Amino acid sequence: MTKRSVSLDDGVAASVEEAAKQDGVSFSAWLSTAAERQLRVRQGLRGVAAWEGETGSLSAEELAAGEALLARLRSGVSGVASRVRRR
Amino acid sequence: MSAASATRREGLAYGLGALHAAARGDRMMWALHRAALSNGIVPVTPAVTVAEGYRTEARSDRLGELLAGTEVEPFTDAAARRSGEIAARCDTSDLNSIAVVELAERRNCAVVAQRQTVLRTASALLGHELVLYAV
Repeated sequence: MTKRSVSLDDGVAASVEEAAKQDGVSFSAWLSTAAERQLRVRQGLRGVAAWEGETGSLSAEELAAGEALLARLRSGVSGVASRVRRR
Repeated sequence: MSAASATRREGLAYGLGALHAAARGDRMMWALHRAALSNGIVPVTPAVTVAEGYRTEARSDRLGELLAGTEVEPFTDAAARRSGEIAARCDTSDLNSIAVVELAERRNCAVVAQRQTVLRTASALLGHELVLYAV
């Protein structure tokens, strides 16, 4: 475990304090989990970029279709695979 | 289920079908994955699914690219016991699919997987409405 001194905006610190309390974890543990998630997102987007490097970038239409599908699934509606035209 | 009565899902749970779709270069799968990450959502998959993916998929490089942005949840003692019990009640040996449903129910996720009856059967047993993107 590494100890670091970090500075946070007052509002952010208060929100983290509240969120940590709600989640039943320490301030440090909450921040660590948030940082871990952000790192995973970053690594994941690099993985997507690597795949795009091999096969071609996702088009604006494909990106929009992905966003729409995500929104549909998050709203609790099932879907079936569909193809989007590659530009 | 109609959109009006649907329950909101917090994230995405990847089944074996999602891993295979990514490995074969299914562009919709990758667009969905990117959309999730861009919205701060890290999809999750059970460790047993990853094991099955590497057992059955030749394109392990592409699995690695997908899993770089996916949380692989360890198959804990509790999840293993619960999955085993659900599998017994569903009369199936497909522990991989059951583990995905168990995870999706526990973490309130939509499932991305191949359409399989066992997914719906297990979800119904758990009293959890399956939200599925069938790849």
